[in-house]
Amino acid sequence: MAITVDPENSETGALFDMADLRGLHVLEIGCGDGRLTWRYADKAAHVTAIDPAAKQIALAREHMTDLFQDRIEFRDIVILSWSLC
Amino acid sequence: MVHALEEIRRLLKPTGMLIDIHPVAVSSPVEIHQGGKIDRVGQLSIRQWCVDYQQADNALTEIAQRGLFAVERARQFDSLTHYPSVAEMRTSLLEAIDKFARDVQSAGEGAPQVEALAARADELMQGTVSGVELIVRERTQISRLRPT
Repeated sequence: MAITVDPENSETGALFDMADLRGLHVLEIGCGDGRLTWRYADKAAHVTAIDPAAKQIALAREHMTDLFQDRIEFRDIVILSWSLC
Repeated sequence: MVHALEEIRRLLKPTGMLIDIHPVAVSSPVEIHQGGKIDRVGQLSIRQWCVDYQQADNALTEIAQRGLFAVERARQFDSLTHYPSVAEMRTSLLEAIDKFARDVQSAGEGAPQVEALAARADELMQGTVSGVELIVRERTQISRLRPT
């Protein structure tokens, strides 16, 4: 058995309660390994997901399925001109 | 953080929205769940020594005060992390400290707390059979903000 984060889907439940993502272009900042990204990306038109941790982004890219190839773009935040702290 | 939010404001379409999700609790309960019964192992003060979420709170307050964004809605929920064993919880939390600790002092305060929680969890789980879950409950806030 592996460590599971939010198998109850409380986070996605709260997210969908806050916003209807259908057809929207989403910029997710601090996506980590894409844990949350996978859970909502099918609703959005396109997702650009960024994180400063290159290893986490590499993991996210590794787990990318064909279904999301054209929909999600994972990027290392260092290419962008701002920092989160 | 404020700079990042200013950039987001600049990039957002006028009809766009900003959804902020971040933990709010100062400490997170660590629990053992078995057959509907919940035993408290203790409290994990990860917020104090890992990521400075206070900075995120302050930045959101500042951008709202400066009129860049308005908070339309906010609510809180519990996000649960399930660990298959005490050992995996211990390893995962110690790795989190290594990765996110604000400084050496914070890391030094965090590690003994994790060790104490792991020891207590081990003690409470002695003799338990299958169907036991070790859970860290993190209180989290989600807010929807609109550019103003």
